[in-house]
Amino acid sequence: MLFNSGGGLGGLALASMLSNTCFADESVQADYKTGAAPKAKRVIQLFMAGAASQIDTFDHKPELEKIDGQKSDFGEKIEAFQDGLGPWMKSPWSFKKYGQCGKSISEIVSPLGDCVDDIAFVHNMVSTSGVHSQATYLQATGFDRPGFPGMGAWISYGLGSENENLPTFVVLPDHRGFASNGPKNWESAFLPATNQGTMIWPNKSEPITDLFAGDRKAAGNNAQRLKLLETLNRTHQASRQADDRLEARIRSYELAAKMQLAAPEALDISQEPAHILKLYGLDHGKTSFPKEINPLEETEYFSKKCLVARRLIERGVRFVQIWSGNDNGFPRRNWDSHEDIKRDHEPLAIGMATGAAALIKDLKQRGLLEDTIILWTTEFGRLPSSQAGKGRDHNPFVFTNWLCGGGIAGGTSFGPSDQWGYKPLDREHPTKVYDIHATVLHLLGIDHRKLTVRNNGIDRRLTDVHGHVINEIIA
Amino acid sequence: MINFRRTLFFTLSVLFAMAQFAIYGQDKSDDLDQQKKSYEAVAEIFRTRCLSCHNSEHTDGELSLQTLAAIKKGGWSGPAVVPGSVFDSYLVDMITSEDGKPAMPQDADPLTDQQVNTIKKWIADGAYWPENETLSLAPPIDLDWWSLKPLQRPSVPELAGESNKWVSNPIDAFIAKKHEEMGFAATYPASKLQLIRRLYFDLVGLPPSPDEIESFINDDDPKAYENLVEKLLASPQYGERWARHWLDLVQYADTHGYDKDKMRNNAWPYRDYVIESFNQDKPYSRFVREQIAGDVLFPETAHGQVATGFLSAGPWDFIGHVEVPESKIDGQIARLLDRDDMVSTTMNTFVSTTVQCARCHHHKFDPVHQEHYYALHAVFADLDRADNAYDADPAVAKKRFELEENLAKIKAKLEEAIGPKRFKQLETAMNQKSGNHVPEFGWHSDIAMTPDTPSWIQFGFHDPQRIKAMVLYPAFDDFNNIGAGFGFPVRFKVEVSNDPDFTNDIKIVFDQTNDDLKNPGLKPFRINFPSAPEFKFIRITVTKRSSRKDDYNVAFAEVKFIHKEEVAEAPVAPDLITSSGSIEAPPRWQEKNLFDQHFPRSRSGNERQAIMCLLTPEAIEKLESRGIEFSDENLKQIAAHFEDGLYKTLKQTIKSLEALPKQQQVYSATVHNGNGNFRGRAGLGPREIRVLKRGNVRTPGEIAQPGTIPVIAGRVWEFGNTKTLGERRVSLADWTTRKDNPLTWRSIVNRVWHYHFGKGIVNTPNDFGRMGAQPTHPELLDWLAVEFRDGGDWIKNRQSIKDLHRLIVNSSVYKQASADNAEYSAKDKNNQYLWRMNRRQLDAESIRDSMLVVSGKLDKKMYGAPFKNFVVEKPEHSPHYRYGKYDPNNPESHRRSIYRFVVRSQQQPLMNSLNCADPNQRVAVRNQSNTVTQSLAMLNNKFVLAMSNHLAQRLKNEHDELSKQITLGFTLVTGRGPIQSEFVALHAYALENGLEDACRVLFNLNEFAFVD
Repeated sequence: MLFNSGGGLGGLALASMLSNTCFADESVQADYKTGAAPKAKRVIQLFMAGAASQIDTFDHKPELEKIDGQKSDFGEKIEAFQDGLGPWMKSPWSFKKYGQCGKSISEIVSPLGDCVDDIAFVHNMVSTSGVHSQATYLQATGFDRPGFPGMGAWISYGLGSENENLPTFVVLPDHRGFASNGPKNWESAFLPATNQGTMIWPNKSEPITDLFAGDRKAAGNNAQRLKLLETLNRTHQASRQADDRLEARIRSYELAAKMQLAAPEALDISQEPAHILKLYGLDHGKTSFPKEINPLEETEYFSKKCLVARRLIERGVRFVQIWSGNDNGFPRRNWDSHEDIKRDHEPLAIGMATGAAALIKDLKQRGLLEDTIILWTTEFGRLPSSQAGKGRDHNPFVFTNWLCGGGIAGGTSFGPSDQWGYKPLDREHPTKVYDIHATVLHLLGIDHRKLTVRNNGIDRRLTDVHGHVINEIIA
Repeated sequence: MINFRRTLFFTLSVLFAMAQFAIYGQDKSDDLDQQKKSYEAVAEIFRTRCLSCHNSEHTDGELSLQTLAAIKKGGWSGPAVVPGSVFDSYLVDMITSEDGKPAMPQDADPLTDQQVNTIKKWIADGAYWPENETLSLAPPIDLDWWSLKPLQRPSVPELAGESNKWVSNPIDAFIAKKHEEMGFAATYPASKLQLIRRLYFDLVGLPPSPDEIESFINDDDPKAYENLVEKLLASPQYGERWARHWLDLVQYADTHGYDKDKMRNNAWPYRDYVIESFNQDKPYSRFVREQIAGDVLFPETAHGQVATGFLSAGPWDFIGHVEVPESKIDGQIARLLDRDDMVSTTMNTFVSTTVQCARCHHHKFDPVHQEHYYALHAVFADLDRADNAYDADPAVAKKRFELEENLAKIKAKLEEAIGPKRFKQLETAMNQKSGNHVPEFGWHSDIAMTPDTPSWIQFGFHDPQRIKAMVLYPAFDDFNNIGAGFGFPVRFKVEVSNDPDFTNDIKIVFDQTNDDLKNPGLKPFRINFPSAPEFKFIRITVTKRSSRKDDYNVAFAEVKFIHKEEVAEAPVAPDLITSSGSIEAPPRWQEKNLFDQHFPRSRSGNERQAIMCLLTPEAIEKLESRGIEFSDENLKQIAAHFEDGLYKTLKQTIKSLEALPKQQQVYSATVHNGNGNFRGRAGLGPREIRVLKRGNVRTPGEIAQPGTIPVIAGRVWEFGNTKTLGERRVSLADWTTRKDNPLTWRSIVNRVWHYHFGKGIVNTPNDFGRMGAQPTHPELLDWLAVEFRDGGDWIKNRQSIKDLHRLIVNSSVYKQASADNAEYSAKDKNNQYLWRMNRRQLDAESIRDSMLVVSGKLDKKMYGAPFKNFVVEKPEHSPHYRYGKYDPNNPESHRRSIYRFVVRSQQQPLMNSLNCADPNQRVAVRNQSNTVTQSLAMLNNKFVLAMSNHLAQRLKNEHDELSKQITLGFTLVTGRGPIQSEFVALHAYALENGLEDACRVLFNLNEFAFVD
């Protein structure tokens, strides 16, 4: 096996032998492991693009029901991104308590009610920016500007691959298009290119770019072509044995051939039994959907990505990132509900919650949840006041993340927000993305302070100079 | 729960501290030296970990750690340190904890156990502190580092024997000296085939043709190699190759990046500027100066105007600038990051120094403090990135420059003559464009099927009005090709009343209901009210509508009430607008457009308004009192009086300017004059730059003065505060290109070396600081830097990049073979000491361009707008760049890769897989990964398949027999003919799978991707 399955330095060393790169200036911090046995081996990140409302999903605010319609007063001057400082607005959905922990969540995410005892909610997340682009970069890469590797790239770099036939880091973008910043959210930046997120579009005829030539028939005999290529390359290599790069390039063609076999198999959900398709809500039998945004269609797309994610991690993919919501085009197909929270959030949330709940249950019944972390995130939250009557403006001052599996303490709600869901209750001690990243790396057995790469004179790490492991949400 | 835990920690840490105290108590040292050492260690911890927040300027928690007195006094929580008592010292509680998460340093890694113990011991020993000592916030400026030492020309090593024979220029002498030390014998040169391929790819980024190879190999002239070097350096493809290296550094792309990644359609003139500069062999200091301050230093040249495309080449946050104003925190952050990009790119590129970490704190290793970093912000404090007009033709640029200078003089005189207020009005009037220039067209009535369906609109005021006149501005709409005067009524009247319903107390002030009115076009329709009646409501009633298209309407662009006859009288909008029926279709048609001061202009209308500005209010009053109307005819006569003077000259100069060829646009750094949130700083002066505590715009500190980093020994780093903003950039350009700048010259020669050898003398070309690599051959680097800077026996033309190439590629070290040597490799595996040439793995551009050359498709057209090898969907909002939908057979895309439209967020998959530069990174060294993605792209990307087909077609055109086709194909791709086994394998494959497929295999060969 090319990469060792335990990852670690072996993974690093082999990865760099394969890619033979001059990615970083030279020094790689060698000893970046925590030393403790890692509780998790892989991560599935669910990213709600456009900023999902915390107070309409997982952070119930009874106070808003009392003051709904009254002139909003935050007790201080605030700058809304647009003009979202209308009256207080309660959630248009009802909330209900679930599980042993009695977590109260909204009806639009009620499919996750069965899972709350496995989930740790973090309600005092704060961002540094209320601008989608910067805030999305911050959640995705730990920096609020372009030029830094995605979280999945760091984890791929730190742990290596469990399966040489598939990419280590897979991204399942929203089928309608990219969120803010596009593929820069999962680039390898200054890490070796092997760690870059590979995009897979499960619903498209060509799920992975250039996996096959456009016209497969005209393309001739794949195996024969690769055999000829290797023969010729070996002849060339014979008098140049010392150059590792030549061997690495020959090997990467072998791996390409393996991926051509492995990837279609991994994506083929027709092998899934009926009860699994039912679990994911994919048994609806429909092939066309109404023009307007609707829950069934959202379920079809999001849930299918969750199912594909499960198949990928079963086959050794280290990090899967699933996106819900595309750019800010119209009609709106993301969580940026400035105009009408009900119109967008309801179908998106139902689709997301159906898929996420199915994923959690499915992993659990397979024994995979215990070493797989699911991280639900978004770039920031939405204000408890209204915008244009029915919408909500950006709230970078507080929002919610949740984590599940892989050593996370289920049934936990950490770091409450204030009575409105405007800011953390304890404003001096918010949770930042660095803390989430530090915690995930910790569970994977990596000390976030030590996994560094020198780039242009600075030792870079995922958590910049910040980050504390949140022990309160670790089992 | 949290509170409980905190209490527990506190208790535990107190117990812990007591235990420690007991130990240290016994160990108490009286030795002053020991105490001083202890103090030094503590001071170092305070300085690096605490002082940035806890100092006398900004004291978080009211605590400063700069003096012992302040430390003993403490902050909110009482004394931080009680000498002799670890137990009573609050500081210790703050930096210790049981679960590894102490309260301080906040948002940062905790102190190490060793550091904590050092502090405890220092306290226990009595907290020694030298009298009156104040800890400095910043680390001392330490220039004792190789890259900061003054440049001096080292003497060239003298060698003897074999080594000396090998030496063909000073480079070889420095290299051979090391070889001798390492025990490496003189190495043998590469074959002529290897040399010609090496030179072609290195200097022009393209493969030599089989004919060129053959004639070079057969050329017995001892100068054959040198001649080839000259030929390639003189070819225009040289600039295309080397400009690409430069574009890597500056993050060049044709879109903005960030959210939406909108197109930046005018970035390319900067790209062309870089190509031209390399081809012209522009002296390096000129090249640097143009890019920092060309608009100020050389405004009369096209290059001067385009070169600051350097500062704007990086990503730009569209939303953060266009949707968020500078007054908001998010807007300030966006602009801070924008300047950070300009500062970082400038310093990384020209002086190989990482300054960006000083945004939040003093550089930990290099002499870059926060005030230096923000001093650089102050240099760029007035800039934004935007499109700017310029003249590509230098002659036109010069002419325009002269005319504009002239214009400024005339304007100044005219301003003196008529006063600043009227002059401003005059300028406004003259700058108005004709036709609709805003989407707000005006007001539109309901639509009727007959012309005589009545329509009215009325305006109500809370307070009674007395006006002299009303002006109705006709609307403009292309609908049904109507254009000017769209919807202007044919018959109508105007009435005033104090009754909103117009049932009684009605005065008719204008009546045109008996005759048809000739459509006025865009000429404002003025109605004078000689009696100046008082009213609260005024109504326009239309009795005959304007014809639209089988139906009838009424429309106006603007309504103006005139109280006094002044040119720029403050507009009066009514309090209430009502009508018999209107179409609200914002933004084009809505009631409020009538008072938005936007209306389509006619040229004559603008002229009329301008002439009015030339008259003093008194003159207007006088003319009026004599009953003279401001009819066009009268105005013409009035204007004639001014035509001989300044106004005429002004108009003529403007006309001459307008007659110049149309300007091109370049996206560059500029003092922007914009609208809305993206206002820019034109006319407002520079942004105030403050030293931001922890890089946070919410915690501004002292005002930053313009300056730079203090790395030139004995020179002040501040530029002085009296200079204009343009001059600040000139100061930075001067500083960068100073002879005694230790970094600039080392930086550029190292970069050029890096591109020739695949590895720099310093392997971190963007960072010569203490976190970077050290030179493998420091004397060679300095010799090259001085020779380049000053000129000499080898670099005849001072600062000539081409002379530097000549020197390097004519050296023996460059001409060595790339073959391995097991013995030397054992001593120096990475070939640091260049005992062989490094084998070059071709970059993305060279691979793509070579495929085009080999398949006979390359279009060598230079310069101009980039080709797009994608299909754009939804361009109006967030463009979707669809590479997969583009037909790679489209000849428009068969130009060299440097001319491709670079999408910042998402590069073309083939180029991306081949590690083309990421335009969000300042790429000094290309990534060289061989990934699975790359193999798949090289095998299956549509471009590769298309070029395989074209190559096959070319081979078929040149030869009829498959065997000859195969031989030629192999030769084109590798530069040599196939050996027997290669030929047989390829031939058999082509017979079975077709020549096209065999060509596809050829493009995937390692021998195609690597150059010996």
